[in-house]
Amino acid sequence: MAEMQNSNPTILNVADLPTRSRAAEKTSGNYGSGIFAAVPNPSDFLSSDSEGDEDLLEEPIDEQEIYDLIKSISDPEHPLSLGELAVVSLPDISITPTLPNVPESPLQTVTILITPTITHCSLATVIGLGVRVRLEQSLPPRFRVDVRIKEGTHSTGDEVNKQLGDKERVAAALENGALMQVIAKMMETCQ
Amino acid sequence: MAQPSLTLLSDLTPPSLERAWLTAPHPTLPIVATCSSDKTVRVYSLTNFKLLSTITGGHKRSVRTAAWKPHVQGESVLATGSFDATVGVWRRWDSYGRAEGGGAGWALNSSDNASAPNGETDDGLASHNDDDEEWRFAVLLDGHDSEVKSVSWSASGMLLATCARDKSIWIWEDLDDGDNNFETVAVMQEHGGDVKCVAWHPAEDCLASGGYDDTIRVWREDLDDWGQVACIKAHSGTVWFLDWEGVDNVPSPMHGSAELASQWREQRALSGPRLVSCSDDRTVRVWRRLPKESGQSGLNASAATGIPSIIRPTGSDETWEEDAVLPHAHELAVYAVAWSRRSGLVASVGADGRIVLYEERVVNHPADSDAMDTELAEKPSIQTEWAVLAVVDGAHGIYEINHAAWAKRADRGSAEDEEEEVLVTTADDGSVKVWTLQR
Repeated sequence: MAEMQNSNPTILNVADLPTRSRAAEKTSGNYGSGIFAAVPNPSDFLSSDSEGDEDLLEEPIDEQEIYDLIKSISDPEHPLSLGELAVVSLPDISITPTLPNVPESPLQTVTILITPTITHCSLATVIGLGVRVRLEQSLPPRFRVDVRIKEGTHSTGDEVNKQLGDKERVAAALENGALMQVIAKMMETCQ
Repeated sequence: MAQPSLTLLSDLTPPSLERAWLTAPHPTLPIVATCSSDKTVRVYSLTNFKLLSTITGGHKRSVRTAAWKPHVQGESVLATGSFDATVGVWRRWDSYGRAEGGGAGWALNSSDNASAPNGETDDGLASHNDDDEEWRFAVLLDGHDSEVKSVSWSASGMLLATCARDKSIWIWEDLDDGDNNFETVAVMQEHGGDVKCVAWHPAEDCLASGGYDDTIRVWREDLDDWGQVACIKAHSGTVWFLDWEGVDNVPSPMHGSAELASQWREQRALSGPRLVSCSDDRTVRVWRRLPKESGQSGLNASAATGIPSIIRPTGSDETWEEDAVLPHAHELAVYAVAWSRRSGLVASVGADGRIVLYEERVVNHPADSDAMDTELAEKPSIQTEWAVLAVVDGAHGIYEINHAAWAKRADRGSAEDEEEEVLVTTADDGSVKVWTLQR
């Protein structure tokens, strides 16, 4: 493997990463109870035949669930996860209605801000692509996935953001065998 | 009068099960070609909205784009562009399976292939499934280094423009020599990023392109050399699609007044057809070329002074200015825009799953205005504005819409003298829908 760009990254202890159970216990002050009120009752899924049940219209996917989907993706150059490296973090994930002026629209936008471990990391695009691919493959298609570099954390953030936001480029990347091998390797650690 | 609305006429069935990128209506027959991520092109009938045939075997990756060659007699010729970096040209005799008139029985009984003069070279790249026998893979145009994003035939059908992520635009001449030979006429590399779209002027050999560098560029041939004559930097995001106004377009509200219509044509004659563009910045914009100084066309000027062709005379440069920004109606990237050559209506679609229709309207009526600007002897020019005519939210359910195109309505005979049109939209789930405007 080529020389590492950041050979000594800051690492978080896995046990300290936010999880649903612990977050619910001790960080309610941080996040409020709003998002947890939206956690669906499992029975909602079981009885999800198209009844006019009000509960079914509740948002069943929250930021923690998004975080759980991407925290275990491996970094392409360290044997560590994006969660452990704090490349992705819970407060940098948000879910908003895509069309706020159309209340009946089921479309929602998931925005994930990525913090590269070093400001000139050329692997930022690959990491971003991995996060986007992971979410597009896991989330229902009514979600619009918006992955971008957190402002001020990368020297060419705008360039990377433009690539990650380009549907056509992302689609073409998914058909690129070499690139997909790298992505698949990153996903190996995801359940 | 009821509010104008876009109503669904039909889905094209069966759809692709993977993302569909674009649907190209045939210039004369009631058929369309839909490009899919499953590496195939589906040809559907606009008469009964059913699949007629599937073109397979030519491309190794997603088919991103396709365009029908105009003015071909007795045969349909389709160019396809793929993420595999190649452009394919396919041919099919229109006489195949034509049971009824007007192409209604097109390809429905393809067993009758006795009339096929099969002297064409066949590279053997096309798969020869029974159903697809009638499509002949004519030639593979190899030249781009990466994904081909758009292809377009010139109005005459002589030139084919292709563009790719490699930042280049290629212009090929179809030699029409019976051997499927194409000659590379020009390679233009001025774009600073992927070239997302190319579109030929409706009458002249003039090409417009847009891309990842947020620019729109206009290209013409000058003394045997293709070069850029304008670069428009106004969008603040990738330019996804371009379309030209019809040569004789007159905004529909003027149709009632012959005087107004003729004044409009006169006013527009020197500028020529306008361009419409759509972008990742969520806007749709209309562009107009400023009329040249009288008698100072670049070609004449350089010919008169005898400047050698290696020096590009600046006289060929064109100035394009923004004619209008259409009313804001999209919340996410706008992927396609289509300017109807029949009605003059503009349709746009995008990632927000919305179809928006716009109409150009007359603001002032110069004939009965009070002529405030009397310092000008001429009649005041006609001012227009664009209004949103109809919006369809969630037109393809939750899916993003990648393309829109206008076509002639073919599922029923048009009773009135004016032919009816339909809008064909193409989405991420592979669905293609045909809409009609009720007003």
